[in-house]
Amino acid sequence: MAYSCYITFPTTYFAIRAESLLKKEAYSFKMVPVPRSISSSCGTALRCECKDLSALKEFLLQNELELEAYYKLEEIGLRVPNVEELHFDE
Amino acid sequence: MNDQCLKNGNNLNLYFDNAATSWPKPETVYKAPEAQMRQACGNPGRSGHTRTLETDRLLYTVREAVAGLFNVKNPARIVFTLNATDALNIAIKGILKPGDHVLHTAIDHNSVLRPLGKLRRNGIVSVDTVPCDLEGCPDIDFLSTAFRANTCLLIINHASNVTGTIAPLEEMVRMAHGHGVNVLVDAAQTAGSIAIDAESIGIDMLAFTGHKGLLGPTGTGGLYVREGIYLDSLREGGTGSQSEMDIHPESMPERLEAGTLNSSGLAGLLEGIRFIENTGITNIREDEIEIRKYLYNAIKDIDGIKLYGPEESEKCSCLVSFTIDNADSGEVGYILESSYGILCRTGLHCAPLAHKAFNTFPAGTVRLSPGFFTGKTDIDYLVNALQEIKSLT
Ligand SMILES: Cc1ncc(COP(=O)(O)O)c(C=O)c1O
Repeated sequence: MAYSCYITFPTTYFAIRAESLLKKEAYSFKMVPVPRSISSSCGTALRCECKDLSALKEFLLQNELELEAYYKLEEIGLRVPNVEELHFDE
Repeated sequence: MNDQCLKNGNNLNLYFDNAATSWPKPETVYKAPEAQMRQACGNPGRSGHTRTLETDRLLYTVREAVAGLFNVKNPARIVFTLNATDALNIAIKGILKPGDHVLHTAIDHNSVLRPLGKLRRNGIVSVDTVPCDLEGCPDIDFLSTAFRANTCLLIINHASNVTGTIAPLEEMVRMAHGHGVNVLVDAAQTAGSIAIDAESIGIDMLAFTGHKGLLGPTGTGGLYVREGIYLDSLREGGTGSQSEMDIHPESMPERLEAGTLNSSGLAGLLEGIRFIENTGITNIREDEIEIRKYLYNAIKDIDGIKLYGPEESEKCSCLVSFTIDNADSGEVGYILESSYGILCRTGLHCAPLAHKAFNTFPAGTVRLSPGFFTGKTDIDYLVNALQEIKSLT
């Protein structure tokens, strides 16, 4: 089974700020519309490979970004995937 | 400095009204809104497709550019508004609570006087006006004794739109902070022309408009709100985020930005700011001081013309206000346009208390506000016109 991970943001401002900072660092990620199976404050989310999630998250938090939540989704095309919300001990 | 006005328009359309709205704009400012509408115009924050993202990126870039201009570290503290008036209303009505006391200066614009007047008439706040001297400079001694236990806000007009007089911002901010009072600066007349380091001065809120010194389109402007200040919102509505809730999002900047933003206008504003960055704001300031000196010195020698505001051009923005003995200011403005093609502003300039201080109420003054693109030959032509008009009185 293939999975992707998502980071969601409280506002569009932080989504675009994340994109702009990460681009400079050559991380691999994509800004995508938030899948309907996730509830998010902002319509744009960051999608990445799950192995990169924790590095991306650390980088963004170090840069004082406000992040909302983290998710792991099955990649199953148009069907509604299983969603797992990820929690990190801060 | 160049003779852009003469080149862009013609001899019969000389623009001396930059304090009302700047003209000409850099070529890039005219082009950017069109390109934005044609190529990218998705609704920012709303739909998630690539055009939406393009527009989100544009807004982010404009926010960064504005933050850079005022030396603000966190661009999320820049809120886009319709203009300075909108920003001032959001700041004033968002921070004041029943029972608060407000200080403001006599050179304030109606965009400050009227919101305050309404709150005062409705019995919500009490207001004291810091008087200014004959040159338009706020009375610092008065201010030093004007703070009360319930004073919540000091509003400062960075530069008078009647005389151009620049307020002693740093000193006034220091005094306010000494009393634990927040400061709101109206930078409508100075943003883009005079460097403002909001964080090092310690400005708490700063309102600006896009269509004057920032050289952008009308319908653009903004408010800087420092971290730690929480403004109650005037408007709630769509943001594209948290759509399932009937509570407007709390995060800045969306918190104070309900409804679709003027993204095409902001594309133009970005080009205005880029022009200022590329030219260098200190170069712009030096040029404008030189233009103002040239204009002031040429008019000063015309017999029967009374000038208002400081003689030293370093102490004011790029404008000159005057009256002609025994002549109606409106009529002078009319002749300047109809006989000479010179456009300027006459009357009360939306700042009635300032005119009372200068004894030019209710007749007002003639205000000439050249800009960065005004050439010396434009001024020579104008001065000649004034000499001829004077000879008619
Ligand atoms: C000192 C001052 N404050 C506020 C404003 C209001 O600007 P706007 O009409 O763009 O809101 C102006 C301009 O007219 C002004 O000169």
